[in-house]
Amino acid sequence: MATQKLTPKEQVQEAILYPIDWLEERSGLVGGIKYFLFRRVPGDINWFQTLGSATLTAFIVQALTGSILAMYYKPDPQNAYSSIQHITNDVFAGWLVRGMHRWGASVFIILMFMHMGRVFLFGAYKYPRELNWIIGVLLLTMGLAEGFTGYLLPWDQTAYWATVVGINLNGTAPFLGPFISQFLQGGTYIDDGTIARFYAIHMLMIPGAIIALIVLHLYLVIRLGVTSPPWSKEAAGTGSMLKPSRNGRRGLTRPGPRRKG
Amino acid sequence: MASERLIERKRVFHQYKEDVKERGKPFYPFAMLHDTIMSLVVVSVITGLAIVWKYTTPGDHHTIDPGWLGRLYDAPADPGTINFVPRPDWYFYFLFYLLRIFKWPETVVIGTVGLPTVLLIILLAIPFIDVRPERRLLRRPVAIVASILVVISMGVLTYKGATAKEALGSEIVGHVPSWAAKEGFTGNKQAIAGAKIFAVAGCLNCHTYLGDGGTNLGAPDLSAEGAKNKGIAFQIAHLKCPACVNSGSPMPSFAGLGDARLKQIAAFLEASKGPKK
Repeated sequence: MATQKLTPKEQVQEAILYPIDWLEERSGLVGGIKYFLFRRVPGDINWFQTLGSATLTAFIVQALTGSILAMYYKPDPQNAYSSIQHITNDVFAGWLVRGMHRWGASVFIILMFMHMGRVFLFGAYKYPRELNWIIGVLLLTMGLAEGFTGYLLPWDQTAYWATVVGINLNGTAPFLGPFISQFLQGGTYIDDGTIARFYAIHMLMIPGAIIALIVLHLYLVIRLGVTSPPWSKEAAGTGSMLKPSRNGRRGLTRPGPRRKG
Repeated sequence: MASERLIERKRVFHQYKEDVKERGKPFYPFAMLHDTIMSLVVVSVITGLAIVWKYTTPGDHHTIDPGWLGRLYDAPADPGTINFVPRPDWYFYFLFYLLRIFKWPETVVIGTVGLPTVLLIILLAIPFIDVRPERRLLRRPVAIVASILVVISMGVLTYKGATAKEALGSEIVGHVPSWAAKEGFTGNKQAIAGAKIFAVAGCLNCHTYLGDGGTNLGAPDLSAEGAKNKGIAFQIAHLKCPACVNSGSPMPSFAGLGDARLKQIAAFLEASKGPKK
Protein backbone atom coordinates (compact mmCIF):
# COMPACT_ATOMS: atom_id res chain seq x y z
CA MET A 1 0.00 0.00 0.00
CA ALA A 2 1.45 3.30 -1.05
CA THR A 3 1.12 5.52 1.98
CA GLN A 4 1.18 9.21 1.38
CA LYS A 5 3.78 11.10 3.35
CA LEU A 6 2.11 13.56 5.73
CA THR A 7 3.64 16.81 6.89
CA PRO A 8 3.68 17.34 10.70
CA LYS A 9 0.86 19.86 10.37
CA GLU A 10 -1.29 17.40 8.50
CA GLN A 11 -0.52 14.75 11.11
CA VAL A 12 -1.82 17.02 13.88
CA GLN A 13 -4.96 17.75 11.88
CA GLU A 14 -5.41 14.04 11.32
CA ALA A 15 -5.09 13.36 15.06
CA ILE A 16 -7.68 16.00 15.92
CA LEU A 17 -10.12 14.99 13.23
CA TYR A 18 -9.91 11.26 13.88
CA PRO A 19 -12.08 11.14 17.05
CA ILE A 20 -14.54 13.61 15.52
CA ASP A 21 -14.88 11.47 12.42
CA TRP A 22 -15.17 8.37 14.59
CA LEU A 23 -18.06 9.92 16.50
CA GLU A 24 -19.74 11.26 13.37
CA GLU A 25 -19.54 7.92 11.59
CA ARG A 26 -21.27 6.15 14.46
CA SER A 27 -23.79 8.75 15.63
CA GLY A 28 -24.25 11.52 13.08
CA LEU A 29 -24.02 13.83 16.10
CA VAL A 30 -21.42 16.15 14.58
CA GLY A 31 -23.58 16.72 11.54
CA GLY A 32 -26.55 17.40 13.84
CA ILE A 33 -24.64 19.98 15.84
CA LYS A 34 -23.36 21.59 12.64
CA TYR A 35 -26.92 21.73 11.34
CA PHE A 36 -28.09 23.30 14.60
CA LEU A 37 -25.33 25.92 14.64
CA PHE A 38 -25.30 26.88 10.98
CA ARG A 39 -29.03 26.65 10.24
CA ARG A 40 -30.28 29.94 8.85
CA VAL A 41 -32.47 32.26 10.89
CA PRO A 42 -34.17 35.40 9.51
CA GLY A 43 -31.76 38.30 9.30
CA ASP A 44 -34.10 40.65 11.14
CA ILE A 45 -34.56 38.76 14.44
CA ASN A 46 -34.09 40.97 17.49
CA TRP A 47 -33.36 40.99 21.22
CA PHE A 48 -36.88 39.96 22.23
CA GLN A 49 -36.16 36.63 20.60
CA THR A 50 -33.43 35.83 23.12
CA LEU A 51 -36.06 35.38 25.87
CA GLY A 52 -36.57 31.70 25.02
CA SER A 53 -32.92 30.80 25.39
CA ALA A 54 -32.80 32.98 28.53
CA THR A 55 -35.62 30.85 29.97
CA LEU A 56 -33.66 27.71 29.10
CA THR A 57 -30.63 29.16 30.89
CA ALA A 58 -32.74 29.83 33.99
CA PHE A 59 -33.96 26.23 33.87
CA ILE A 60 -30.40 24.92 33.61
CA VAL A 61 -29.47 27.05 36.65
CA GLN A 62 -32.41 25.47 38.52
CA ALA A 63 -31.39 21.96 37.49
CA LEU A 64 -27.74 22.44 38.54
CA THR A 65 -28.41 24.22 41.84
CA GLY A 66 -31.24 21.79 42.59
CA SER A 67 -28.95 18.80 42.10
CA ILE A 68 -26.42 20.31 44.52
CA LEU A 69 -29.15 21.07 47.09
CA ALA A 70 -30.36 17.46 46.79
CA MET A 71 -26.96 16.30 48.08
CA TYR A 72 -27.61 18.00 51.43
CA TYR A 73 -31.38 18.24 51.77
CA LYS A 74 -33.24 15.67 53.89
CA PRO A 75 -36.88 15.21 52.91
CA ASP A 76 -38.50 14.33 56.22
CA PRO A 77 -40.25 16.55 58.77
CA GLN A 78 -37.64 15.95 61.51
CA ASN A 79 -34.62 16.95 59.41
CA ALA A 80 -35.86 19.11 56.53
CA TYR A 81 -35.69 22.44 58.37
CA SER A 82 -32.33 21.76 60.00
CA SER A 83 -30.87 20.57 56.69
CA ILE A 84 -31.96 23.89 55.11
CA GLN A 85 -30.27 25.74 57.98
CA HIS A 86 -27.17 23.58 57.50
CA ILE A 87 -27.11 24.37 53.76
CA THR A 88 -27.59 28.08 54.39
CA ASN A 89 -25.12 28.50 57.25
CA ASP A 90 -22.51 25.73 57.17
CA VAL A 91 -22.06 24.23 53.72
CA PHE A 92 -19.45 26.03 51.60
CA ALA A 93 -21.33 28.48 49.31
CA GLY A 94 -24.53 26.67 50.34
CA TRP A 95 -26.29 30.00 50.85
CA LEU A 96 -25.36 30.97 47.28
CA VAL A 97 -26.63 27.73 45.77
CA ARG A 98 -29.84 27.87 47.79
CA GLY A 99 -30.30 31.57 47.05
CA MET A 100 -29.80 30.99 43.33
CA HIS A 101 -32.35 28.17 43.41
CA ARG A 102 -34.82 30.26 45.43
CA TRP A 103 -34.53 33.36 43.24
CA GLY A 104 -33.84 31.45 40.03
CA ALA A 105 -37.35 30.05 40.41
CA SER A 106 -38.82 33.55 40.27
CA VAL A 107 -36.61 34.54 37.35
CA PHE A 108 -37.57 31.33 35.51
CA ILE A 109 -41.29 32.07 35.96
CA ILE A 110 -40.93 35.73 34.92
CA LEU A 111 -38.95 34.72 31.82
CA MET A 112 -41.54 32.09 30.87
CA PHE A 113 -44.27 34.74 30.99
CA MET A 114 -42.15 37.25 29.06
CA HIS A 115 -41.26 34.65 26.42
CA MET A 116 -44.93 33.77 26.10
CA GLY A 117 -45.82 37.46 25.78
CA ARG A 118 -43.23 37.87 23.02
CA VAL A 119 -44.57 34.88 21.10
CA PHE A 120 -48.11 36.21 21.48
CA LEU A 121 -47.30 39.76 20.34
CA PHE A 122 -45.23 38.51 17.40
CA GLY A 123 -48.09 36.22 16.38
CA ALA A 124 -45.51 33.46 16.37
CA TYR A 125 -48.03 30.86 17.59
CA LYS A 126 -49.78 30.88 14.20
CA TYR A 127 -49.54 28.23 11.50
CA PRO A 128 -47.45 26.08 11.51
CA ARG A 129 -46.30 26.65 15.09
CA GLU A 130 -49.55 25.90 16.98
CA LEU A 131 -48.20 22.70 18.51
CA ASN A 132 -45.17 24.51 19.91
CA TRP A 133 -47.44 27.06 21.61
CA ILE A 134 -49.29 24.18 23.30
CA ILE A 135 -46.01 22.65 24.46
CA GLY A 136 -45.02 26.06 25.79
CA VAL A 137 -48.26 26.43 27.79
CA LEU A 138 -47.67 22.94 29.25
CA LEU A 139 -44.15 24.02 30.20
CA LEU A 140 -45.61 27.09 31.94
CA THR A 141 -47.99 24.98 34.03
CA MET A 142 -45.15 22.54 34.84
CA GLY A 143 -43.02 25.50 35.94
CA LEU A 144 -45.78 26.77 38.23
CA ALA A 145 -46.20 23.25 39.64
CA GLU A 146 -42.46 23.24 40.40
CA GLY A 147 -42.98 26.50 42.29
CA PHE A 148 -45.84 25.01 44.30
CA THR A 149 -44.07 21.76 45.23
CA GLY A 150 -40.74 23.42 45.95
CA TYR A 151 -42.32 25.93 48.33
CA LEU A 152 -43.07 23.24 50.96
CA LEU A 153 -39.57 21.78 51.10
CA PRO A 154 -37.91 24.27 53.54
CA TRP A 155 -40.57 23.04 56.01
CA ASP A 156 -40.94 26.38 57.78
CA GLN A 157 -44.18 27.98 58.92
CA THR A 158 -44.87 29.89 55.68
CA ALA A 159 -44.12 26.80 53.61
CA TYR A 160 -46.22 24.49 55.73
CA TRP A 161 -49.34 26.62 56.01
CA ALA A 162 -49.29 27.84 52.41
CA THR A 163 -49.21 24.18 51.38
CA VAL A 164 -52.01 23.19 53.78
CA VAL A 165 -54.25 25.79 52.18
CA GLY A 166 -52.95 25.03 48.66
CA ILE A 167 -53.79 21.34 49.01
CA ASN A 168 -57.19 22.16 50.51
CA LEU A 169 -57.89 24.45 47.55
CA ASN A 170 -57.07 21.62 45.15
CA GLY A 171 -59.52 19.60 47.18
CA THR A 172 -62.41 21.92 46.28
CA ALA A 173 -62.30 20.74 42.65
CA PRO A 174 -65.43 18.82 41.71
CA PHE A 175 -65.08 15.00 41.46
CA LEU A 176 -61.28 14.79 41.31
CA GLY A 177 -60.55 17.28 44.10
CA PRO A 178 -60.46 14.92 47.09
CA PHE A 179 -58.34 12.41 45.15
CA ILE A 180 -55.83 15.11 44.17
CA SER A 181 -55.56 16.19 47.79
CA GLN A 182 -55.07 12.62 48.97
CA PHE A 183 -52.46 12.00 46.30
CA LEU A 184 -50.51 15.17 47.13
CA GLN A 185 -50.61 14.56 50.86
CA GLY A 186 -49.85 10.87 50.62
CA GLY A 187 -52.68 10.29 53.08
CA THR A 188 -55.25 12.32 54.97
CA TYR A 189 -52.83 14.71 56.68
CA ILE A 190 -49.73 16.67 55.77
CA ASP A 191 -46.84 14.73 57.32
CA ASP A 192 -43.65 12.88 56.35
CA GLY A 193 -45.56 11.20 53.52
CA THR A 194 -46.36 14.60 52.05
CA ILE A 195 -42.84 15.99 52.16
CA ALA A 196 -41.40 12.84 50.50
CA ARG A 197 -44.07 13.02 47.81
CA PHE A 198 -43.52 16.72 47.13
CA TYR A 199 -39.78 16.07 46.98
CA ALA A 200 -40.18 13.25 44.46
CA ILE A 201 -42.61 15.27 42.35
CA HIS A 202 -40.43 18.38 42.58
CA MET A 203 -37.11 16.81 41.63
CA LEU A 204 -37.97 13.75 39.54
CA MET A 205 -41.41 13.74 37.97
CA ILE A 206 -41.90 17.35 36.89
CA PRO A 207 -38.27 18.06 35.92
CA GLY A 208 -38.31 14.89 33.82
CA ALA A 209 -41.45 16.07 32.06
CA ILE A 210 -40.00 19.58 31.65
CA ILE A 211 -36.80 18.26 30.05
CA ALA A 212 -38.78 16.08 27.64
CA LEU A 213 -41.03 19.01 26.71
CA ILE A 214 -38.04 21.35 26.26
CA VAL A 215 -36.46 18.84 23.84
CA LEU A 216 -39.70 18.73 21.84
CA HIS A 217 -40.01 22.52 22.03
CA LEU A 218 -36.50 23.03 20.65
CA TYR A 219 -36.96 20.33 18.02
CA LEU A 220 -39.98 22.19 16.70
CA VAL A 221 -38.14 25.54 16.83
CA ILE A 222 -35.35 24.07 14.69
CA ARG A 223 -37.74 22.27 12.36
CA LEU A 224 -40.10 25.20 11.77
CA GLY A 225 -37.66 28.09 12.15
CA VAL A 226 -37.85 31.40 13.98
CA THR A 227 -40.32 34.08 12.89
CA SER A 228 -39.30 37.53 11.73
CA PRO A 229 -40.62 40.41 13.82
CA PRO A 230 -44.07 41.22 12.38
CA TRP A 231 -43.21 44.88 11.78
CA SER A 232 -40.11 44.04 9.79
CA LYS A 233 -40.12 45.39 6.23
CA GLU A 234 -38.04 42.38 5.27
CA ALA A 235 -39.88 39.70 7.19
CA ALA A 236 -39.22 36.22 5.90
CA GLY A 237 -42.32 34.81 4.23
CA THR A 238 -43.70 38.09 2.93
CA GLY A 239 -41.68 38.16 -0.26
CA SER A 240 -40.25 41.61 0.43
CA MET A 241 -37.10 40.03 1.77
CA LEU A 242 -35.94 39.61 -1.79
CA LYS A 243 -35.57 43.37 -2.18
CA PRO A 244 -32.11 44.59 -1.25
CA SER A 245 -31.96 46.54 1.97
CA ARG A 246 -30.80 50.15 1.83
CA ASN A 247 -29.29 50.43 5.28
CA GLY A 248 -26.56 47.99 6.15
CA ARG A 249 -27.95 46.72 9.43
CA ARG A 250 -31.15 44.75 9.70
CA GLY A 251 -32.32 43.98 13.20
CA LEU A 252 -29.85 42.13 15.33
CA THR A 253 -27.59 40.68 12.74
CA ARG A 254 -25.53 42.41 10.15
CA PRO A 255 -25.95 41.32 6.58
CA GLY A 256 -23.74 38.39 5.85
CA PRO A 257 -21.21 38.26 3.06
CA ARG A 258 -23.47 36.07 0.91
CA ARG A 259 -25.98 38.55 -0.47
CA LYS A 260 -27.77 38.16 -3.72
CA GLY A 261 -30.21 40.45 -5.45
CA MET B 1 -62.93 29.04 0.90
CA ALA B 2 -61.17 27.21 3.66
CA SER B 3 -59.07 25.06 1.38
CA GLU B 4 -57.82 28.19 -0.40
CA ARG B 5 -56.73 29.56 2.97
CA LEU B 6 -54.91 26.30 3.70
CA ILE B 7 -53.12 26.40 0.37
CA GLU B 8 -52.21 30.05 0.88
CA ARG B 9 -50.72 29.52 4.33
CA LYS B 10 -48.71 26.58 3.03
CA ARG B 11 -47.43 28.80 0.27
CA VAL B 12 -46.47 31.55 2.76
CA PHE B 13 -44.59 29.07 4.94
CA HIS B 14 -42.81 27.69 1.89
CA GLN B 15 -41.89 31.28 0.97
CA TYR B 16 -40.62 31.78 4.54
CA LYS B 17 -38.36 28.73 4.22
CA GLU B 18 -37.07 29.99 0.85
CA ASP B 19 -36.48 33.52 2.19
CA VAL B 20 -34.58 32.26 5.22
CA LYS B 21 -32.47 30.00 3.04
CA GLU B 22 -31.74 32.83 0.60
CA ARG B 23 -31.39 35.82 2.89
CA GLY B 24 -31.13 34.44 6.43
CA LYS B 25 -28.08 34.50 8.64
CA PRO B 26 -26.49 31.46 10.25
CA PHE B 27 -27.58 31.00 13.88
CA TYR B 28 -23.91 30.80 14.86
CA PRO B 29 -22.39 33.30 15.47
CA PHE B 30 -25.04 36.00 14.92
CA ALA B 31 -28.07 34.97 16.98
CA MET B 32 -25.97 32.87 19.33
CA LEU B 33 -23.95 35.88 20.43
CA HIS B 34 -27.08 37.65 21.61
CA ASP B 35 -28.46 34.52 23.23
CA THR B 36 -25.19 34.12 25.11
CA ILE B 37 -25.16 37.74 26.30
CA MET B 38 -28.78 37.41 27.47
CA SER B 39 -28.01 34.14 29.28
CA LEU B 40 -25.08 35.74 31.08
CA VAL B 41 -27.38 38.58 32.17
CA VAL B 42 -29.87 36.01 33.51
CA VAL B 43 -27.21 34.13 35.50
CA SER B 44 -25.84 37.42 36.87
CA VAL B 45 -29.29 38.60 37.97
CA ILE B 46 -29.97 35.28 39.73
CA THR B 47 -26.57 35.36 41.46
CA GLY B 48 -27.12 39.00 42.40
CA LEU B 49 -30.48 38.24 43.98
CA ALA B 50 -28.96 35.38 45.99
CA ILE B 51 -26.18 37.67 47.25
CA VAL B 52 -28.57 40.52 48.15
CA TRP B 53 -30.86 38.01 49.91
CA LYS B 54 -28.01 36.79 52.09
CA TYR B 55 -26.06 39.98 52.74
CA THR B 56 -28.95 42.27 53.59
CA THR B 57 -30.11 39.85 56.30
CA PRO B 58 -29.44 41.69 59.56
CA GLY B 59 -26.92 40.50 62.14
CA ASP B 60 -24.42 37.87 61.03
CA HIS B 61 -26.44 37.16 57.83
CA HIS B 62 -28.05 33.98 59.09
CA THR B 63 -30.69 35.22 61.46
CA ILE B 64 -34.40 34.76 60.98
CA ASP B 65 -34.91 38.53 60.48
CA PRO B 66 -35.90 39.66 57.01
CA GLY B 67 -33.43 41.45 54.75
CA TRP B 68 -34.40 43.39 51.61
CA LEU B 69 -35.67 40.25 49.92
CA GLY B 70 -37.33 38.67 52.93
CA ARG B 71 -36.31 36.00 55.41
CA LEU B 72 -33.74 33.30 54.67
CA TYR B 73 -36.20 30.98 56.41
CA ASP B 74 -39.19 31.29 58.69
CA ALA B 75 -39.64 29.57 62.04
CA PRO B 76 -39.79 25.76 61.69
CA ALA B 77 -43.11 24.29 60.60
CA ASP B 78 -45.29 23.51 63.58
CA PRO B 79 -48.66 21.90 62.86
CA GLY B 80 -49.62 22.66 66.49
CA THR B 81 -49.26 26.46 66.29
CA ILE B 82 -51.95 27.87 64.12
CA ASN B 83 -50.87 31.52 64.15
CA PHE B 84 -49.83 31.55 60.53
CA VAL B 85 -50.29 33.54 57.38
CA PRO B 86 -50.98 31.18 54.49
CA ARG B 87 -49.10 33.02 51.78
CA PRO B 88 -47.92 31.44 48.54
CA ASP B 89 -44.90 32.54 46.53
CA TRP B 90 -45.46 35.88 44.78
CA TYR B 91 -46.26 34.44 41.36
CA PHE B 92 -49.34 32.78 42.81
CA TYR B 93 -50.66 36.03 44.33
CA PHE B 94 -52.99 36.60 41.38
CA LEU B 95 -54.64 33.22 41.94
CA PHE B 96 -54.58 33.82 45.69
CA TYR B 97 -56.39 37.12 45.33
CA LEU B 98 -59.02 35.63 43.01
CA LEU B 99 -60.16 33.65 46.06
CA ARG B 100 -61.07 36.82 47.86
CA ILE B 101 -63.31 37.91 45.04
CA PHE B 102 -65.39 34.75 45.12
CA LYS B 103 -67.21 34.10 48.36
CA TRP B 104 -67.23 30.91 50.36
CA PRO B 105 -68.99 28.53 50.04
CA GLU B 106 -71.25 28.99 47.00
CA THR B 107 -68.88 30.43 44.43
CA VAL B 108 -65.39 29.78 45.85
CA VAL B 109 -64.95 26.79 43.55
CA ILE B 110 -65.09 29.24 40.62
CA GLY B 111 -62.02 30.99 42.02
CA THR B 112 -60.11 27.88 43.07
CA VAL B 113 -60.72 25.65 40.07
CA GLY B 114 -63.23 27.06 37.60
CA LEU B 115 -61.55 30.25 36.44
CA PRO B 116 -57.96 28.91 36.34
CA THR B 117 -59.15 25.90 34.30
CA VAL B 118 -61.06 28.10 31.85
CA LEU B 119 -58.07 30.44 31.49
CA LEU B 120 -55.75 27.50 30.85
CA ILE B 121 -58.07 26.09 28.18
CA ILE B 122 -58.31 29.50 26.47
CA LEU B 123 -54.52 29.82 26.58
CA LEU B 124 -54.08 26.39 24.99
CA ALA B 125 -56.71 27.18 22.35
CA ILE B 126 -55.29 30.56 21.24
CA PRO B 127 -53.71 29.25 17.99
CA PHE B 128 -57.05 27.67 17.04
CA ILE B 129 -59.14 30.70 17.96
CA ASP B 130 -56.91 33.13 16.08
CA VAL B 131 -56.31 31.39 12.75
CA ARG B 132 -55.74 34.46 10.58
CA PRO B 133 -52.22 34.66 9.20
CA GLU B 134 -51.96 38.38 10.11
CA ARG B 135 -49.07 38.99 12.51
CA ARG B 136 -48.76 42.80 12.47
CA LEU B 137 -49.91 44.10 15.85
CA LEU B 138 -51.82 47.14 14.60
CA ARG B 139 -53.99 44.85 12.51
CA ARG B 140 -54.77 42.59 15.46
CA PRO B 141 -56.88 44.91 17.67
CA VAL B 142 -58.49 42.05 19.62
CA ALA B 143 -55.10 40.59 20.45
CA ILE B 144 -53.81 44.01 21.59
CA VAL B 145 -56.83 44.71 23.79
CA ALA B 146 -56.80 41.18 25.22
CA SER B 147 -53.11 41.30 26.08
CA ILE B 148 -53.40 44.75 27.69
CA LEU B 149 -56.36 43.56 29.77
CA VAL B 150 -54.50 40.40 30.83
CA VAL B 151 -51.38 42.33 31.84
CA ILE B 152 -53.42 44.92 33.79
CA SER B 153 -55.58 42.35 35.58
CA MET B 154 -52.64 40.09 36.44
CA GLY B 155 -50.72 43.13 37.68
CA VAL B 156 -53.61 44.42 39.79
CA LEU B 157 -54.38 40.98 41.24
CA THR B 158 -50.70 40.37 42.05
CA TYR B 159 -50.41 43.81 43.68
CA LYS B 160 -53.62 43.29 45.64
CA GLY B 161 -52.45 39.86 46.74
CA ALA B 162 -49.09 41.29 47.81
CA THR B 163 -50.59 44.11 49.84
CA ALA B 164 -53.56 42.15 51.23
CA LYS B 165 -54.29 43.09 54.81
CA GLU B 166 -53.01 40.57 57.30
CA ALA B 167 -54.46 40.12 60.73
CA LEU B 168 -51.96 40.73 63.53
CA GLY B 169 -53.09 38.64 66.50
CA SER B 170 -51.27 40.81 69.05
CA GLU B 171 -53.15 43.93 67.89
CA ILE B 172 -56.53 42.32 67.47
CA VAL B 173 -56.59 40.73 70.90
CA GLY B 174 -57.03 44.28 72.25
CA HIS B 175 -60.37 44.49 70.43
CA VAL B 176 -61.89 41.64 72.48
CA PRO B 177 -63.60 43.91 75.12
CA SER B 178 -65.20 45.98 72.37
CA TRP B 179 -66.36 42.80 70.58
CA ALA B 180 -67.90 41.58 73.85
CA ALA B 181 -69.69 44.90 74.34
CA LYS B 182 -71.04 45.03 70.80
CA GLU B 183 -72.10 41.39 70.72
CA GLY B 184 -73.32 41.40 74.32
CA PHE B 185 -71.27 38.55 75.83
CA THR B 186 -69.35 40.66 78.39
CA GLY B 187 -70.48 38.43 81.26
CA ASN B 188 -69.63 35.16 79.51
CA LYS B 189 -66.14 34.11 80.76
CA GLN B 190 -65.89 31.12 78.40
CA ALA B 191 -66.75 33.29 75.40
CA ILE B 192 -64.22 36.02 76.36
CA ALA B 193 -61.46 33.40 76.72
CA GLY B 194 -62.52 31.92 73.37
CA ALA B 195 -62.47 35.36 71.73
CA LYS B 196 -58.84 35.86 72.85
CA ILE B 197 -57.77 32.53 71.35
CA PHE B 198 -59.78 33.32 68.22
CA ALA B 199 -57.90 36.61 67.89
CA VAL B 200 -54.39 35.13 68.13
CA ALA B 201 -54.82 31.64 66.64
CA GLY B 202 -54.85 32.82 63.04
CA CYS B 203 -58.61 32.53 62.45
CA LEU B 204 -58.67 36.16 61.31
CA ASN B 205 -56.14 35.52 58.55
CA CYS B 206 -59.05 34.10 56.60
CA HIS B 207 -62.23 35.12 58.44
CA THR B 208 -63.54 38.53 59.42
CA TYR B 209 -65.16 39.51 62.69
CA LEU B 210 -66.74 42.95 63.22
CA GLY B 211 -64.46 44.47 60.60
CA ASP B 212 -61.24 42.81 61.83
CA GLY B 213 -59.44 40.17 59.82
CA GLY B 214 -58.21 39.50 56.33
CA THR B 215 -61.07 37.84 54.35
CA ASN B 216 -58.40 35.59 52.92
CA LEU B 217 -59.60 32.86 50.58
CA GLY B 218 -63.13 34.18 50.71
CA ALA B 219 -63.78 32.72 54.18
CA PRO B 220 -67.12 33.84 55.71
CA ASP B 221 -67.65 36.65 58.22
CA LEU B 222 -68.24 35.20 61.69
CA SER B 223 -69.79 38.22 63.46
CA ALA B 224 -73.18 36.53 63.50
CA GLU B 225 -72.10 32.87 63.45
CA GLY B 226 -73.99 32.18 66.71
CA ALA B 227 -77.25 33.37 65.17
CA LYS B 228 -77.30 30.14 63.16
CA ASN B 229 -77.57 28.24 66.48
CA LYS B 230 -75.52 25.30 65.28
CA GLY B 231 -74.52 24.40 68.82
CA ILE B 232 -71.26 24.02 70.73
CA ALA B 233 -70.83 20.36 69.73
CA PHE B 234 -71.06 21.23 66.02
CA GLN B 235 -68.56 24.08 66.38
CA ILE B 236 -66.02 21.83 68.12
CA ALA B 237 -66.45 19.07 65.52
CA HIS B 238 -66.04 21.64 62.75
CA LEU B 239 -62.88 23.13 64.27
CA LYS B 240 -61.37 19.67 64.59
CA CYS B 241 -62.10 18.61 61.04
CA PRO B 242 -63.77 21.27 58.89
CA ALA B 243 -63.99 19.12 55.77
CA CYS B 244 -65.72 16.27 57.67
CA VAL B 245 -68.62 18.53 58.65
CA ASN B 246 -68.56 20.86 55.69
CA SER B 247 -67.60 18.83 52.65
CA GLY B 248 -64.87 20.40 50.52
CA SER B 249 -63.94 23.08 53.05
CA PRO B 250 -60.36 24.33 52.55
CA MET B 251 -60.10 25.35 56.23
CA PRO B 252 -57.32 23.52 58.06
CA SER B 253 -57.93 21.47 61.21
CA PHE B 254 -57.51 23.30 64.52
CA ALA B 255 -57.52 20.09 66.59
CA GLY B 256 -53.99 21.01 67.72
CA LEU B 257 -55.43 23.68 70.06
CA GLY B 258 -56.78 20.99 72.43
CA ASP B 259 -60.30 20.28 73.65
CA ALA B 260 -60.44 22.91 76.40
CA ARG B 261 -59.54 25.78 74.07
CA LEU B 262 -61.74 24.51 71.27
CA LYS B 263 -64.66 24.52 73.72
CA GLN B 264 -63.93 28.17 74.56
CA ILE B 265 -63.78 29.15 70.90
CA ALA B 266 -67.04 27.30 70.31
CA ALA B 267 -68.65 29.17 73.23
CA PHE B 268 -67.41 32.43 71.73
CA LEU B 269 -68.79 31.60 68.28
CA GLU B 270 -72.15 30.58 69.69
CA ALA B 271 -72.27 33.80 71.78
CA SER B 272 -71.70 35.86 68.63
CA LYS B 273 -75.28 36.55 67.65
CA GLY B 274 -74.37 39.59 65.57
CA PRO B 275 -73.76 43.18 66.71
CA LYS B 276 -76.54 44.78 68.77
CA LYS B 277 -78.13 47.78 67.15
